[in-house]
Amino acid sequence: MGRLFAIEIIYRGIFQKTLATRLSRSIVLAAHQEGKMGISFGRYGDSPERNGIPAKNFAIVATDEQTLQEGMAKYEPKQVDVTIAVDDTLCKGVESWAWYGLQPVNRLLKPGGTLIVTSREGPDAIIAMAHRKETPYNLAIVKGTVSFSGLWVYKDDHTDVRILGAIAKVLPDLFSLTSVQKVIMDQWKDAIKAESAARAYERIGTTTVRTDQGNPEVPYKFDFPKWHEMGEGIAIPSIPAGRNMEDPVSHVHGGFQPDRNPTFKKFSTRTMRPVVNFDTCIKCTLCWLHCPDSCFDVTPEGLYDANMQACCGCGVCEAVCPVKECVTMVNETEFGDNASQWEAWRNDKEGYQAWLAKKIESHPERSHGFRYRGQYEEQVPEMLEIARKG
Amino acid sequence: MSTYIQIDPTQKLDPFKAVKKLPLEEYFTSGHRTCQGCESALVMKMMAKAAGPRTIVLGSTGCMYVANTTYYSTSWVLPWMHTQLGSSGSAALGTAAALKALMRKGKMKKEPINVIAFCGDGGGADMGVGAISATLTHPDYNCLILMYDNESYANTDIQLSGSTPWGANTTFSTPGKVKRIMHRRWKKNMAGMMAAGHPTCRYVATVCMSYALAGMNAMRKALSIGGPTFIHSLDPCPKGWDYDPYLSHEMGELAVNTGVWPLYEVEDGVLRLTGRTQQIAAGKIKRQPVRDYLLKQGRFAHFTNDDIDYFQSKVDEMWGKWLVPGVIPFQREVEADNPPA
Repeated sequence: MGRLFAIEIIYRGIFQKTLATRLSRSIVLAAHQEGKMGISFGRYGDSPERNGIPAKNFAIVATDEQTLQEGMAKYEPKQVDVTIAVDDTLCKGVESWAWYGLQPVNRLLKPGGTLIVTSREGPDAIIAMAHRKETPYNLAIVKGTVSFSGLWVYKDDHTDVRILGAIAKVLPDLFSLTSVQKVIMDQWKDAIKAESAARAYERIGTTTVRTDQGNPEVPYKFDFPKWHEMGEGIAIPSIPAGRNMEDPVSHVHGGFQPDRNPTFKKFSTRTMRPVVNFDTCIKCTLCWLHCPDSCFDVTPEGLYDANMQACCGCGVCEAVCPVKECVTMVNETEFGDNASQWEAWRNDKEGYQAWLAKKIESHPERSHGFRYRGQYEEQVPEMLEIARKG
Repeated sequence: MSTYIQIDPTQKLDPFKAVKKLPLEEYFTSGHRTCQGCESALVMKMMAKAAGPRTIVLGSTGCMYVANTTYYSTSWVLPWMHTQLGSSGSAALGTAAALKALMRKGKMKKEPINVIAFCGDGGGADMGVGAISATLTHPDYNCLILMYDNESYANTDIQLSGSTPWGANTTFSTPGKVKRIMHRRWKKNMAGMMAAGHPTCRYVATVCMSYALAGMNAMRKALSIGGPTFIHSLDPCPKGWDYDPYLSHEMGELAVNTGVWPLYEVEDGVLRLTGRTQQIAAGKIKRQPVRDYLLKQGRFAHFTNDDIDYFQSKVDEMWGKWLVPGVIPFQREVEADNPPA
């Protein structure tokens, strides 16, 4: 019986589809350089992918054919040696397309396995986002701006090769840096990319995450219906109509909060979230009206509170809002919970304004794909510079 | 219309006066598995809001079926049923006929119920066009067929459809090094075709949900006018068009303001250009160059300046040469069409 290696790549659907494919494919090719065989595939349940909704790719590698066959005949591996999260906000949890509830990012990691994250944050911020695990694991951060592009135009910012270099360091039994560089040259004939991989290899460091570190919350889940509970003709109960909201201070009832799908919440799709300045809101309705996810609850006084259980962070509300900095998209890494902003504002308006100002100030811009032609060419040099500095 | 036709009364759905007067209730709610910034999901939400609670929705296969109802979970508050890819027309007609028969036989309370069947551009403009056409010739059944057009088979990862614009990058038309433009057909003129070809259909409209109030009022008119009706909605698609999702609203506005997507309604045979399109046609505002629209989308990232000019010339033709500008593509003289090599 030979040795089996399993690596999972958790990525943002569509935005990082090409990146994830390049990664899992190159992992198998690099291992192949050293006489191992493998397969790279996407998780079936994640297709068709949707922009932002977390998805997974796997690279399964073995030292011999029989072990590989045993290891690959699965929907997804039971355990992985390395989990790669190509966006740091994925560390808050992964609610994929296919009806699983929210899964911790480190769920499949073996005891002592490594979680590789691309981020500009330090280890403390990443550890705080990830759910606690019953066994210790290692965390390695590939420093840099998170790479987002779209379905057709790829942003070649070296994230792929830098992660490959990092894998060679944290799992040297799988492949060496030399094999990684060989595969890079074979595929892209780019010596600068090979150099980026070597730099990541040299720089990458790991932190051990203890069992008492991380987010202590139990990720939300739901009970699967039994076959005998399922209705005739696959009939599904519809969602109830919704209800009034209650003001936390005056206890007045009014406004409207829609009921929402209890088995898919979509908030793990979010990489940015809207923060709302309720004091400057002119109640124009546009954020509420144009939200494709109906995430705005209408409060008794007619304000619009973005419900963080439902918001997937598309940014349309900010785009349609006519008031400057009334709705502002802020990097999701800045937040630790999904609490109602409106309730916080109702309870302490001054405190809320201070909180709001701090959040808006700290918003590093996140780009979510193609905005105009030439944009990627403008962004890549800066991203490479950040990567170079580490 | 002939007297022997028995049309049931429809719901009374007056136009919404202003966005601030809209009902707060949602009948299509959160928790669907669509992309960030999905405009088609927005169309579903607006459609449900415009139609109200006494509505049956039928959906043919496509994003709005798969994303909203798979894995034994849903975001619909309204009753909804799946129907096959090409059968939105048949499903609408059958459901309207069944309601009529059940009410006539006393098996159901007599009341006006909205019947809406939606389909994507693949399910509507490609596969379902026959069934939709047949339904629009039956004046005695009240139903609305809503085509949400994201210009590709978006659910299965962007294959080109009859609605995909010229030159766009899709899974079936990836630009190559030797051949840049792999999709050389022009978008099917679905609303124009439905309006011109079905004299018994009392209402056809094009909408874009960047103009939400007008869009919802078109839906309310379509549901209350009586008989079968058709609405064609252009939905910017961040996945297939390849743009940052926060641009979804702006992309719809650009489609209208560049003249690529004309807004109009045909009511009892009378054509009315609406909204910004009417202002463009009246010369009150200038059409924006299509370049502004094309360069914001990754699916056109391979376009050369010649390609952009050609695209512009075809849009100019639509406004300057068509007998009914923006609607019916007949011309008095056909000129040579010279796409860039």
